[in-house]
Amino acid sequence: MDAERVSVDAMIQLIHVSKVYDRRAALSDVTLDIEKGEFVLLMGPSGAGKSTLLRMLIGAERPDQGQIFVQGKNVTKLRPSEVPYLRRRVGSVFQDFRLLPKKSVSENVALPLAVQGVSPADIRRKVTEALRAVGVEHKRDQLPHSLSAGEHQRVCIARAIVNGPTVLLADEPTGNLDPALTGEIIELFKLINARGTTVVVATHDPHVMGLVNRRVITLVGGVLAPDPQVPA
Amino acid sequence: MRLLAYVCREAWANVRTNRTTTAVAILTTAFTLACVGIFLLVYVNLRNATGWLQDDIKIMVYLDDQLPDEAAVQLEGKLRADRMVASARFISKAQALGEFRTQFPADSHLLEGLGENPLPASFVVTLAPTARSPESVKRWAERVRTIAGVAKVDYSQEWIDALAGTIRYLELAAIGVGVLLSAAAVTIIGNTIRLTLFARREEIDILRLIGATRAFIRVPYLLEGALLGACGSAVSLLVLKIGFEWFRQQIQTTGRFGDLGSYLTFFPPSVCVALVGIGMGLGIAGSFVSVRRFGEGRA
Repeated sequence: MDAERVSVDAMIQLIHVSKVYDRRAALSDVTLDIEKGEFVLLMGPSGAGKSTLLRMLIGAERPDQGQIFVQGKNVTKLRPSEVPYLRRRVGSVFQDFRLLPKKSVSENVALPLAVQGVSPADIRRKVTEALRAVGVEHKRDQLPHSLSAGEHQRVCIARAIVNGPTVLLADEPTGNLDPALTGEIIELFKLINARGTTVVVATHDPHVMGLVNRRVITLVGGVLAPDPQVPA
Repeated sequence: MRLLAYVCREAWANVRTNRTTTAVAILTTAFTLACVGIFLLVYVNLRNATGWLQDDIKIMVYLDDQLPDEAAVQLEGKLRADRMVASARFISKAQALGEFRTQFPADSHLLEGLGENPLPASFVVTLAPTARSPESVKRWAERVRTIAGVAKVDYSQEWIDALAGTIRYLELAAIGVGVLLSAAAVTIIGNTIRLTLFARREEIDILRLIGATRAFIRVPYLLEGALLGACGSAVSLLVLKIGFEWFRQQIQTTGRFGDLGSYLTFFPPSVCVALVGIGMGLGIAGSFVSVRRFGEGRA
């Protein structure tokens, strides 16, 4: 292991990470660092390995080779019982929203707090703050089916930040949104990043790159393309 | 505590959301457990009946004709001091003859030709309740047979052995049927939980991704299984009780079996509680198997 390469400043660090599915390489020898408070776009076409990389960061996949560190913790060596505690520090936003259809907006947002046994008073306060931050506080009692696509994604973001995570991962968060809504959601991520949260947004949409104008990491066929903004 | 309250609410919500599946699972479990219950009831009542029959067993200890009276008194003391003996009644040669004449008046002339009374003196021994199993009776008889002055020890050996054999077979059958039908109950509840898990797989995935622990995800389903098992068991007991009372009434009404109806007994309350507990345990086992299988390979 390249233990000597583990950076204390990095929020996320991948060291020679590889993953193979059915003899097809999803990731090949990927090594990268993401600093605390950075906003990073993970670009690449469909099947480039972006989702695999994000899933590895929350312990949903294990690499065949290499090491992954999140906040200095080696994710590849976590026991299954430790994975939930990692996920409480890392918020996730998905393209398909993944809200529970029979629970109201506020109940959906409260879920990450409920699973930790947070008191009802604290849950109410934190849910209100999160919903206010993403601009859907007025929808708190509604069920997801009555929300628009943009509102869906805002609720999903509220659920991801309600815990106050140090890292926010978003997998194609604008995939189901029109360009105007895409701009709104990206602005929301920028706001969250401005408060100190490290944000990693995976997307195949070049339009998003223009909106973000931050560091870009590009994956092509599971291989990391040279990073133009961070010299090796 | 908050987490426990939350998972209990979730378990109750599961049950309410899947009312039809839950009702079907409770009824099928109840039917399966009722089959076990019928067998248990038959077994318990037969065991009770054999208990009464064993209580009636008297052991005859015949004495040597030459045994002096003092030795017979000593033997009586020895028998009464034995912890396994509940009572020992002495029957002298004369008393034995008198009883023979009373019981068989038509055959009493057979003894007159013999001149001397041929019937031996004896003790009629009743063993203590803890020593009435066929094995204990046999061991006790063999021990007493070796005592000086005892000519013969007589008891219904074959009958007791047959009884012991029947009880053993009944016990084996009860265990076999119980295990088979309990496995069926576990499978029924397990499949119900699996259906619920399948219907809620997306929700479970979301819970995993937002940091819910394995226990947090599993406990509501285990509670649901416990509830299904306990309800199934309670319903089966209710059905059994109704059926039992009906059966007893039928026996008493027809009057064909004497007062057999009054000897029949249902499970005592403690056993009923234990059976509900067993149902609950089977429910937990069923849902545990399903939850474990469902969770395999998922991070």
